[in-house]
Amino acid sequence: MASPSFLLLFPSLGWLSAVTSSDPFVHAPHFTGCKSREQVTFSCWWSAGSFQNLTEPGALQMFYWKKNDLTKEWRECPDYSSSVKNECFFNKNNTVIWTTYCVRLSSKSQNITYDELCFELQDIVHPDPPVALNWTLLNVSRSGLNYDIMASWEPPPSADVSVGWLTLVYELQFRRRNSSHWKVLEHEFGTQKSIYGLSTGEEYEVRVHCSMRAFNNFGEFSDAIFVHVSEIPSKESTFTVILVLIFGAVGVAIFLMLIIFSQQQRLMVILLPPVPAPKIKGIDTELLKKGKLNELNFLLSVGGMGSLHPFPPDLYQDESWMEFIELDADEPEPGEKEDNLGSDTQRLLSLGHNNHRTNHGCSHTLSIPDIDYDPELPDQETLMLMAALLSSQPEKVEPCLGNRRSHSNPPAIEVLEVPCPRLQAPGLAPEGGERPLVQTQLGGPHSWVNINFYAQVSDVMPAGGVVLSPGQQVRAPEDTPTTEEDKKKIGKMEGGEEEEERRNKKLPSQLLVVDPEAGGYTIESSGRQISTPDPSSPGKVYHAFPPPPPYLLHTTPLGDYQSPYILPNSPAQFLPPVLDYTVVQDIDSQHSLLLNPPSPQRSPSCPPQPPSKHLPTMPIGYLTPDLLGKLLP
Amino acid sequence: MNMMQVMQSVVWAVLLWPCLVSLGVPLECKDEQGSIILCASISKEKLLDRVIQHAELIYRVSEESCTLFEEMFVPFSMRSQRNQAGYTCATKAFPIPGSKSEIQQISDKWLLHSVLILVQSWIEPLVYLQTTLDRYDDAPDTLLKKTKWVSEKLLSLEQGVVVLIRKMLDDDMLTTSYYEQGVAPYDLQPEVLESVLRDYTLFSCFKKDAHKMETFLKLLKCRQTDKYSCFLH
Repeated sequence: MASPSFLLLFPSLGWLSAVTSSDPFVHAPHFTGCKSREQVTFSCWWSAGSFQNLTEPGALQMFYWKKNDLTKEWRECPDYSSSVKNECFFNKNNTVIWTTYCVRLSSKSQNITYDELCFELQDIVHPDPPVALNWTLLNVSRSGLNYDIMASWEPPPSADVSVGWLTLVYELQFRRRNSSHWKVLEHEFGTQKSIYGLSTGEEYEVRVHCSMRAFNNFGEFSDAIFVHVSEIPSKESTFTVILVLIFGAVGVAIFLMLIIFSQQQRLMVILLPPVPAPKIKGIDTELLKKGKLNELNFLLSVGGMGSLHPFPPDLYQDESWMEFIELDADEPEPGEKEDNLGSDTQRLLSLGHNNHRTNHGCSHTLSIPDIDYDPELPDQETLMLMAALLSSQPEKVEPCLGNRRSHSNPPAIEVLEVPCPRLQAPGLAPEGGERPLVQTQLGGPHSWVNINFYAQVSDVMPAGGVVLSPGQQVRAPEDTPTTEEDKKKIGKMEGGEEEEERRNKKLPSQLLVVDPEAGGYTIESSGRQISTPDPSSPGKVYHAFPPPPPYLLHTTPLGDYQSPYILPNSPAQFLPPVLDYTVVQDIDSQHSLLLNPPSPQRSPSCPPQPPSKHLPTMPIGYLTPDLLGKLLP
Repeated sequence: MNMMQVMQSVVWAVLLWPCLVSLGVPLECKDEQGSIILCASISKEKLLDRVIQHAELIYRVSEESCTLFEEMFVPFSMRSQRNQAGYTCATKAFPIPGSKSEIQQISDKWLLHSVLILVQSWIEPLVYLQTTLDRYDDAPDTLLKKTKWVSEKLLSLEQGVVVLIRKMLDDDMLTTSYYEQGVAPYDLQPEVLESVLRDYTLFSCFKKDAHKMETFLKLLKCRQTDKYSCFLH
């Protein structure tokens, strides 16, 4: 709602400027305002403007006229204020409400009217500021950060509110001490107002002014008062802080517990690393399981891996030459067999007869007499090697037996299945724990790892070496892809190619290659071949038949073709594992064994061996009868 | 036994007498202000308070309506019409005191009658204003509502003042709502400047008269509570 008194000025000014129409910077005399404080009296003020000649008092005159005057003539200001310059005061006798007043500013001679203004008394009322502004504290928040106050004041004494002559409305404003923006609260009809949400420790300014109700002509502001409440460290706040800390600690503890319980396994591993179980090289942990103590005892007694118990020669002696193990053609895959060491062990050690019995397929057993490669040895003994004539079914070869042997402690006895019944060798009940390892020493002309075909395996090293019966350590030459195919079939020869591999307990014996067709034995031995390329004891490879040095039959790692059965005659030396066998691929017209490359065919299902238990990478050759003849002592 | 029973009944009657009285007396008026006729009894003070509230509200709404109309329809150059000693409100049949001192010297009866005359003089012009505003094309809704509300409340105020006169002055004068026929229907087209100015004058004059009513009634109230202090000022 516009203030009429101030609106009156604008057209007046415009009119005056139009009248003067002179320099725009020249300000003509004009009214600066008319105000009433209590609706009983009022005053008008004017200024001379830039007219210098009118500044002296009395140069300008103000006349007024009331609408209800009967005379309709302009009267001069009744009271030129003596204290204030250019002010005309109308006392209560000259003041009428609800009546239009018009005032005029003119020169002394009354011929020039500089300004004119018309108003009614109730429209120019600007009440005085309220007095006695004060505040009281209502409350402080629990946190001690905020508080509320109640500000109170009194109406201006000039305003006759009690009579009802004026009805005032008040407006409170407050601000922070250093802020420049006043916050305005709602108009209040009463004389007190509450202020909420002040911050402790901060100083605030509060002021109030009032106006006639529904007129919006607010008067001057009252003097500002300062409100300040100092911060009170309260026990409640510290209590709250303590409570928060406790809850936080509990939450963190719960979180940690959750982590610990969820990661228990890992933490246990980190904090309490597992104690490594004792491991005895060469003894398969499977043996330690229930029911296999027999094998374990055997191993330990007879000469497990690493042990150098010589195999009692009498045992060997008792060993018939012809020992064969009959395998079932339907034996499970080599891979499986490899996994089931225990069953292999059982099969080897005690269940050879089972194998016999389970021979369903065209499986043949071969018995290979122990053959000593040592030329000094009697031929008969040594050369009765019934090489497993492997049919050209390499897949039946147990490629993984070698692997198994590598890490199996029980004496790995490899039995080759001979598909042809002709090869049925005189069955020889395998001894309880041992089977002769038949190893087809097929391979390159050189590097015949001497194998005593009929060596008894007393133990198998996890590395692949096999402890053979007395005296012989088989060392597989690395470069000899000879017959030492390492496959030691531990009793699981599958049909097809059979490899006889025998772990020579004896030192290099001649390898007998059996010609299935011929039905005889072919012993192939070549000094070179037979002899282990062991640099240490080249000549000794084969030897050692009688003396019972500890022998080990190492199954060569397949990649490393070595004679598994031929070991250098150093007892203390444990040769690296020897490749077990080579698969005989075929037999040519001359009844020579054709050996196939070991690796690809031999271990299709062979899991990766521990080191190089795999088929040897020996150059595959075949044994010609000439070579065989050489082998024969 | 009979004596005892009678005594008990008397005692009970004495104890419950205020309740009986209250039951017998109709409730005080709690319905809308101004409809005091329906109420059987209301104290003078309460009635006066309610009448004053009516007058205050009417004045506030009239002021808002005047401002709305001025902003919507009155050209800016014309808004200062009042300072040109231009508009002339309809003069009343009786002189109205101009100063506070004069008003304080007026009697209660005169005050009340002045208020009643003022209220009655504006009943018809407000009705006219309502119809006129409907003819404006873009009259804001609030303006129409306010004008309608004011004319209704004015009637209530009239009734209240009549009852107040009756109560305070023991005057049974029945002067309820007679319409002045002085205001002739205007055929001027709305939104023509002349009609706009005329309507603007009506709004302004009504606002001033509403202020008069409020002031009179408040002065009257002051006299009811504290006669001496009211006269001394």
